[in-house]
Amino acid sequence: MKLKVYRYHEGMAAPRYDTFQLVPSPAMTVLEALFQFQEKLDDSLAFRYSCRGAVCGTCAMLINKVPRLACRTQVESLLKGNLKVAIAPYPAIGETVPWDPEEEVLVEPLPHLPVIRDLIVDMGIFFQYYRFIAPVFRPSDPDPEKERIMDPAAVKKLETYTNCVLCAACHAACPVVGQNPEYLGPAALAKLYRFHVDPRDVEEDSTLKRADIPNGWWACDLYGNCNRVCPKGVPPRTAIEKAVAALNKEKKEA
Amino acid sequence: MIHHYDVLIIGGGLTGLRAALRVSDAGLNGAVVSKVHPLRSHSVAAQGGMNASLGNVKGEDGTKDSWKNHAYDTVKGSDYLADQDAVERLCREAPTAVIELEHMGTVWSRLADGKIAQRPFGGAGFPRTCYAADRTGHNALHTLYEHVSGRQIPVYEEFFVTSLVTKDGRCIGCTALELMTGQVHGFLAKAVLMASGGFGRIFNKSTNALINTGDGPALALRAGALLKDMEFVQFHPTTLYGTNILITEGARGEGGILLNQNGERFMERYAPNSVDLAPRDVVARSIEQEIAEGRGYDGGYVHLDLRHLGAARITERLPGIRQIAIDFAGVDPIQDPVPVQPGQHYSMGGIDADINGATALPGLYAAGECACISVHGANRLGGNSLVETVVFGRLVAEKIIEDVEEMTLANDEPVKAAIKSTNDRIEGILRREGGELVFGIKDVMTNNMSNKFGIFREKQKMREGLDEIKKIQEQVGHVSLQNKERKLNQALIRFLELEGMLLLAEAVARGALAREESRGSHKRTDYPERDDLNFLKHTLVGLRDDTMHVSYKPVTLGVFEPRERVY
Ligand SMILES: Cc1cc2nc3c(=O)[nH]c(=O)nc-3n(C[C@H](O)[C@H](O)[C@H](O)COP(=O)(O)OP(=O)(O)OC[C@H]3O[C@@H](n4cnc5c(N)ncnc54)[C@H](O)[C@@H]3O)c2cc1C
Ligand code: SF4
Ligand code: FES
Repeated sequence: MKLKVYRYHEGMAAPRYDTFQLVPSPAMTVLEALFQFQEKLDDSLAFRYSCRGAVCGTCAMLINKVPRLACRTQVESLLKGNLKVAIAPYPAIGETVPWDPEEEVLVEPLPHLPVIRDLIVDMGIFFQYYRFIAPVFRPSDPDPEKERIMDPAAVKKLETYTNCVLCAACHAACPVVGQNPEYLGPAALAKLYRFHVDPRDVEEDSTLKRADIPNGWWACDLYGNCNRVCPKGVPPRTAIEKAVAALNKEKKEA
Repeated sequence: MIHHYDVLIIGGGLTGLRAALRVSDAGLNGAVVSKVHPLRSHSVAAQGGMNASLGNVKGEDGTKDSWKNHAYDTVKGSDYLADQDAVERLCREAPTAVIELEHMGTVWSRLADGKIAQRPFGGAGFPRTCYAADRTGHNALHTLYEHVSGRQIPVYEEFFVTSLVTKDGRCIGCTALELMTGQVHGFLAKAVLMASGGFGRIFNKSTNALINTGDGPALALRAGALLKDMEFVQFHPTTLYGTNILITEGARGEGGILLNQNGERFMERYAPNSVDLAPRDVVARSIEQEIAEGRGYDGGYVHLDLRHLGAARITERLPGIRQIAIDFAGVDPIQDPVPVQPGQHYSMGGIDADINGATALPGLYAAGECACISVHGANRLGGNSLVETVVFGRLVAEKIIEDVEEMTLANDEPVKAAIKSTNDRIEGILRREGGELVFGIKDVMTNNMSNKFGIFREKQKMREGLDEIKKIQEQVGHVSLQNKERKLNQALIRFLELEGMLLLAEAVARGALAREESRGSHKRTDYPERDDLNFLKHTLVGLRDDTMHVSYKPVTLGVFEPRERVY
């Protein structure tokens, strides 16, 4: 049981990989393995963490060439080959270093975001696109005294999208983001779609228009990697397809 | 670099963000400082819900809930240690807080009639807990953050606050270490709101996020504020063995049962009537006793068995719990029982603050889990802390808005001096060589807290525990780090957290030793009864000349007379 970890910081000519023999413990997650590395081998290893329970979206990284949450991914299951996710290949997940998937877990920073140090990436652009789509609930009618009434079935539909934890796994898994860094990306678009399908927001069409630009809905090539890697079952690709269909229909009618 | 604001908010959880929006409503210049991106705050992990007497669901006898019922349950749950004026305020404002979130966009779960759904929760006489599936904190926090980011309220992310700055007995700002650059920044403000969350991580088994190290209360204590009721720590009976991730009460609500190593349903012995659904503290103590008497499994856990519910019911009603068990324990509850053990869950105590969030240090306010405005007393009810964050996040901001009106900013000098001394301190730590590593010491401390100040407490054990804490405080002065860099040095952050945690550990220990009674979460085997005559009072801990002092202050009683707490 070994961990092979990407190491880089400013001033290094090129990244290197450190290999560390893990002390096995039952149901050990990759996040726990990283703590072991930090505590036993090198306290300068940098990675983000918070909830350790797959709810805060902090710890997404590239694990065995798939973007996933480190705290939700078990070392043993990886070694047994149980956690394979079939995603469409793209340059950023090509081979970087030889590794033995039966013995080693390969941990690298999320692709498509600049590496600051080791496994920590700069999420700036990711949140810039989030802000770009202006994810704020702004119904056009005045607030009632109590809650707005909502059909429980509509809530279920909405939950599919409100579940997003903004971990950026989908952003890192998207071949289009890799080619076109100006593409808003699956997470921002799925977030925008969440406001579109909110039945309380009556100004429906204007919501979708916020990403009605070449680098918005229209840039998606429907690879679907986002749907496959999302740790929360959010389907950005599905949202994009629906949005595109709605916009096309609107345009035809107009 | 020195930044200037009217109001500086430390913490980007529900409390901090709610306050930031209110400050912005008032047209004041406010900012949030947070050691993680706000969305990574622990609030995001809250599952079950937020209490408010909306009355959308009628009680068993067909009556409608009211803030008074909510207040009664809260005071009784607190074992009468809560301040009743503060509880009244919380419960009166709770419905507004929930509706406000709805208006901001939170997608609450709904009843068939389209109103916000409410479910029953432990210790509550009505179905009062509003929820957004089992992701209430996530939904509420994302909503608030959407507005904060939409309004472009400045957020200093990944800034670790290192000290509060005072001048003439007044808090005028803070210093903070910018993680990415290693630079120390100064913040000068007319008022500082501490909203830094709980300190669960001083215990080795905790449901809390790893970042819940209680930095805020430690900073406040050092700056001259007082801590209150620190000995009251809530333990949740069912946390997943291994990671101690919370397994909600709902699992037992759906019919899950607890079994010991002999396959015996032991809760029948401890709580013949309510069995597995007895109150949290009762179940936690029972499990602890089973383990202590050798009827638990190796490693110290029991089984939560859901198998008899069947695959259909488990996948429909408890999907989240099933996923947690699979992901984090490698156990599928449809096929195997889930290993669980009690773990620290909530910090009732915190920075002593009055009903407006004002602390003993002028200029410093506190709200949320880091504070003790005292709405939870000796035991918090599930669903009451989320509502506390948004109610007092707003109310304390309102008080601050009022207070800063006539104030001017102090000059930069004290902040400059604080930046310098913080830099010196950091350099000093980085220069040290050859001492023990920070991680091992932290484990010794957290184990000590769980073993000596856990669910059952007793004088002799606690004395040993306190001695150990004092010893570790000595040791920590010699700790050295391998990583000597300023930029993104997480070992350094871990060290700074540990220093603060050791202060809080001592405060818990001193409060617990001095409180010779059992009340709420504080269970003394040597003083098994509640003693209103001598201990119906709040514990205060202060720091004078580096020495901790314990004192007391009266509880604000009200219409609810202390009675025996029976369920
Ligand atoms: C697993 C779990 C489930 C829960 N479920 C419920 C529930 O269903 N209902 C309920 O009512 N309660 C629940 N609680 C309790 C509730 O979630 C918390 O009490 C509440 O969210 C605390 O919010 P807060 O805003 O006070 O602090 P937090 O959300 O913890 O935020 C603290 C903030 O302070 C910042 N901070 C801390 N230290 C520093 C520093 N040194 N420098 C800069 N920033 C700093 C952090 O970055 C963070 O942004 C639950 C708790 C747990 C552990
Ligand atoms: S859609 Fe899924 S993968 Fe993408 S940011 Fe949200 S939670 Fe992460
Ligand atoms: S640490 Fe929160 S999702 Fe992994």
